[in-house]
Amino acid sequence: MANIKFTGVHKSFGSNKIITDFNLLGKEDEFLVLVGPSGCGKSTLLRMIAGLEKIDEGEIFINDQKINELHPSKRQTAMVFQSYALYPHMNVYENMSFGLKIEKRPKEEINTKVMQAAKILKIEELLERKPKQLSGGQRQRVAIGRAITRNPKIFLFDEPLSNLDAALRAEMRVEISKLHNQIKTNMIYVTHDQVEAMTLADRIVILNQGNIEQVGTPEEIYNDPANIFVAQFIGTPKMNILEVNEENVISENTIKLLGNDIQFDKLKLNKSKHFVGIRPEHLKANQNTKFTFNPEIELIENLGNEKIVYMKKDEHQLSAKIPSNVEIGSSIGFDLNDIFIFDENGKRLKS
Amino acid sequence: MRIKNTILFSLISTFFLIFLISIWKILATLQGLSINSFNIEIILIFGFLISLAHLGIGDRIKSIYKSIIFSSIFVFCDGYLIQKLPIWYNVGVFLILYFFTNKISKYTFIGLKEEHSTQVILFDFLTLFGILFFSFVILFPFYMMLVTSFKTQIALLVNPLDFSINFSQDIKDLFKSYFVIFKSYKFGKYIVISTIVSVGTVIVTLLFAIPAAYAVARLNFFGKTFLSTSILIIYMFPAIVLVIPLYTIFSQLGLRNSIEGLLIVYTATTLPVAIYMLQGYFKSIPKELEEAAILDKLSWFGIITKIIIPLSIPAISSVALYVFMIAWNEFLFSLMFLDNPNSFTLSRAIQYLSGDAETPRQYLMAGSVVVTLPVLFIFVYFEKYLVSGLTAGSVKG
Repeated sequence: MANIKFTGVHKSFGSNKIITDFNLLGKEDEFLVLVGPSGCGKSTLLRMIAGLEKIDEGEIFINDQKINELHPSKRQTAMVFQSYALYPHMNVYENMSFGLKIEKRPKEEINTKVMQAAKILKIEELLERKPKQLSGGQRQRVAIGRAITRNPKIFLFDEPLSNLDAALRAEMRVEISKLHNQIKTNMIYVTHDQVEAMTLADRIVILNQGNIEQVGTPEEIYNDPANIFVAQFIGTPKMNILEVNEENVISENTIKLLGNDIQFDKLKLNKSKHFVGIRPEHLKANQNTKFTFNPEIELIENLGNEKIVYMKKDEHQLSAKIPSNVEIGSSIGFDLNDIFIFDENGKRLKS
Repeated sequence: MRIKNTILFSLISTFFLIFLISIWKILATLQGLSINSFNIEIILIFGFLISLAHLGIGDRIKSIYKSIIFSSIFVFCDGYLIQKLPIWYNVGVFLILYFFTNKISKYTFIGLKEEHSTQVILFDFLTLFGILFFSFVILFPFYMMLVTSFKTQIALLVNPLDFSINFSQDIKDLFKSYFVIFKSYKFGKYIVISTIVSVGTVIVTLLFAIPAAYAVARLNFFGKTFLSTSILIIYMFPAIVLVIPLYTIFSQLGLRNSIEGLLIVYTATTLPVAIYMLQGYFKSIPKELEEAAILDKLSWFGIITKIIIPLSIPAISSVALYVFMIAWNEFLFSLMFLDNPNSFTLSRAIQYLSGDAETPRQYLMAGSVVVTLPVLFIFVYFEKYLVSGLTAGSVKG
């Protein structure tokens, strides 16, 4: 039970500004995922919460208590590192109980806490092992277990699954999701993997160069992106962005795109450059759609249940995700509802 | 290709054989054996023939029989037909030949077809040559030292280079030199002093080096780069430059002839390299481990004692070993600063003994064995801690 609040947080390394004016209000027991390309400052933000990095300017509050000057150990956070960071000279039990032992808690309390955590993570039979005798997935479980025993108000995950292989990653993702349902606590999770972000988060914070691009539930982020960056960041393959020149903006609410005149409701378009976004999964073959175009198909990647079609129309490069049982004819189509329109600065224009 | 390789192989192996037999013959001559001629051409021809015959016979005879047959033929011709030599000499030659034929048994005609096989053979024999030659250079004096320490004065006068030990004599006579150095020359006391100085140096050095190395490896402070690069500069001063000014200072302070004085000098000389070695290892410990420890409420001191030191056991033990050996073997400073026999270290004591023309050589050698053995045992014992890979499993490697 905790909430976290950032007000005007700044951070720079030398002349390198990592985070500028970061403001965010977390909700109670929320699973918050910070996602963004590498170097966007998401890990720095997490380390600032944990106290491993100094806050240059601004304030961070946990439960309305300012934590800027608080020692890392007093912030009641627990961090799970990307590289696990297990103590190699201690066995799993000692690793998990180390923090409590430093606090000089009674033995029985330590034991119950470690056992509880081990039970949640199903690592009871591994307690006697040394980290080097564990597989990657097991190590990460132990690292999470170590965080649980500290009984933190906020869990901090720093790309915990990046070092695991694809199958294990999917499995651990489910485990972490279950864990959050089981122990209702705030979790802040940093990742660059949009799949993790979409599946785990209650709310996603999309960061780019130290700025928040958008905050919202996974549905909001997917269906209602605020700008081109967010629209392209979420979804694979990424959203097709087509440039619409001044002369193709025919009137206040009509543009010419891929040979179609597209009319929007309630939209006022300037006579200037615009961008149009269509997600690959919304481009359809052999279906009745309002608009169609005849592209030149360059490459088809078959993924089994679906295929990715790379194509070209005029000066535009597009990709489409099409179920693999659908034959691809000469024309590809799309509907009005599937079109996102952005202004020349990349900001979304809503109809 | 094959003919060229075969000839090259035979030549290389022949030279190797000549080298082995020559060493044996030199040693035999030192034992008073009069060998008329070196017979290099005989060994050359035999070596060449054995190599070729080995290739020719191939797998048709089991390699152990092949080795025995070749060795016997060589011994018969060299030690019996050409010149009559005592049996122990011939046993030695047989063993050398046996070793040699075993070494070449892995080369076959088929292997020699490959283009690179001559390079492989050359490097094989060069490594072998290097190992044998340099271990001979090191081990031979050591062996002489050991053997001499078990000799009596008379035996040494008769033949100073006799390699054998007379085990038939009484065990008391055999170890007489050792009894004497401990009884009359107070070596027990010197061992205690040397041990105190060496162990003391190790402890004091580690006490200073571990925090210093951690600071250089991890913390940011003003002048860090200058400090870390200048650590080794201290090591560029030759000891002889320091020893005379230090002598005057120590005389003034009354530190001459004292263990404390030696501790200070030894620590000062070993500290730079100790810091340098340790900081390199500390840097290789993942930073996340320390961050995890900070979140586990550990202080800086706790991080060093509970995380860094347990993980650096290999580095710390090799530093300890290095410092111990330097302090145990150190000679120049102990020569300058110690002139009272009551505060001698072992190396200084031996120098003191050898300076006295009256001291029999076997006592000196026994003293040298006493100096050498502890380092040897400590090395063998510590060796198991020197294995790396203690950090395995902590982070994704």
